Amino acid sequence: MDFKKFLLVLTEDADQSILTDAVQLCKDFKSKLYVLFVIEPNRVSRLASLTHQKVKVVHKKTEEDGWKLLYLLEDEAVENGVWTSLHLEDGNQLKVTNRYVDAYEIDALLIKRKEESKKIFVSSSIPIIGL
Amino acid sequence: MELKISEYLKLEAIIMDIKAKEKIAAIDELVEHMVAKKLVRDGKAFIKALAKRENLESTGIGDGIAIPHARTDAVQDLIFAFARSPEGIDFSSIDGKPSHIIFLIASPEGKKSEYIMALAKLSRLLRKHPVRELLRDAKNPKEIMEIIRKNEE
Repeated sequence: MDFKKFLLVLTEDADQSILTDAVQLCKDFKSKLYVLFVIEPNRVSRLASLTHQKVKVVHKKTEEDGWKLLYLLEDEAVENGVWTSLHLEDGNQLKVTNRYVDAYEIDALLIKRKEESKKIFVSSSIPIIGL
Repeated sequence: MELKISEYLKLEAIIMDIKAKEKIAAIDELVEHMVAKKLVRDGKAFIKALAKRENLESTGIGDGIAIPHARTDAVQDLIFAFARSPEGIDFSSIDGKPSHIIFLIASPEGKKSEYIMALAKLSRLLRKHPVRELLRDAKNPKEIMEIIRKNEE
């Protein structure tokens, strides 16, 4: 199967090792790498409640951390000659991911291997690679 | 200490109406301007570093914004520049729209964390629709500076 376009979906708990793995995979496959960081309002509200912070403060930190992850990945991708496209959106992870898969004609999804990823796995129409 | 865009963007690094009509010409014009203002020491190396990125990604982030950027020792410190294009320039944006506001960022190779932080701060700032509108309507470089100062938290 030909994987021309991968979509890496990130959330606030992603660690940097997943970035390296995604870049290496795209380098090996000579694929384009679309990277999407999704800020889920429910998670932000929950975190704000748990940490006794304002939602606005948590959202600001989450967004800045998201952009940092995206640009860290981009820096590594450039070093490795991998084409990237960076995206950050607020919304439901599943819905936003599906919209991107359709809009950019993605061939496969890259996600962090964890329990919550099952909801994407179940509803996805394209292959999923857990990193 | 928190990084402030307004502390790194100099008035002399702001072009209110850029003449260039396409991406590489716009980058050339911005860099030449920065060299003329002695903000960049090696214009050719700087353009080469920016062009390398432009070939590997779209720095047009949508909503009329482009953020060409690079890490290169052609600059001595973290540096920002701003240009505005009334007609818009094709930066191969993710939404297919022309870019009217162009922010250029560069840092020396060894200042990766500052560079990433600067990109994150700027991207967050420019996601705000009112900020984009204000920047498009600003009349002079001082207004641009003031908008950024007021809106970065």
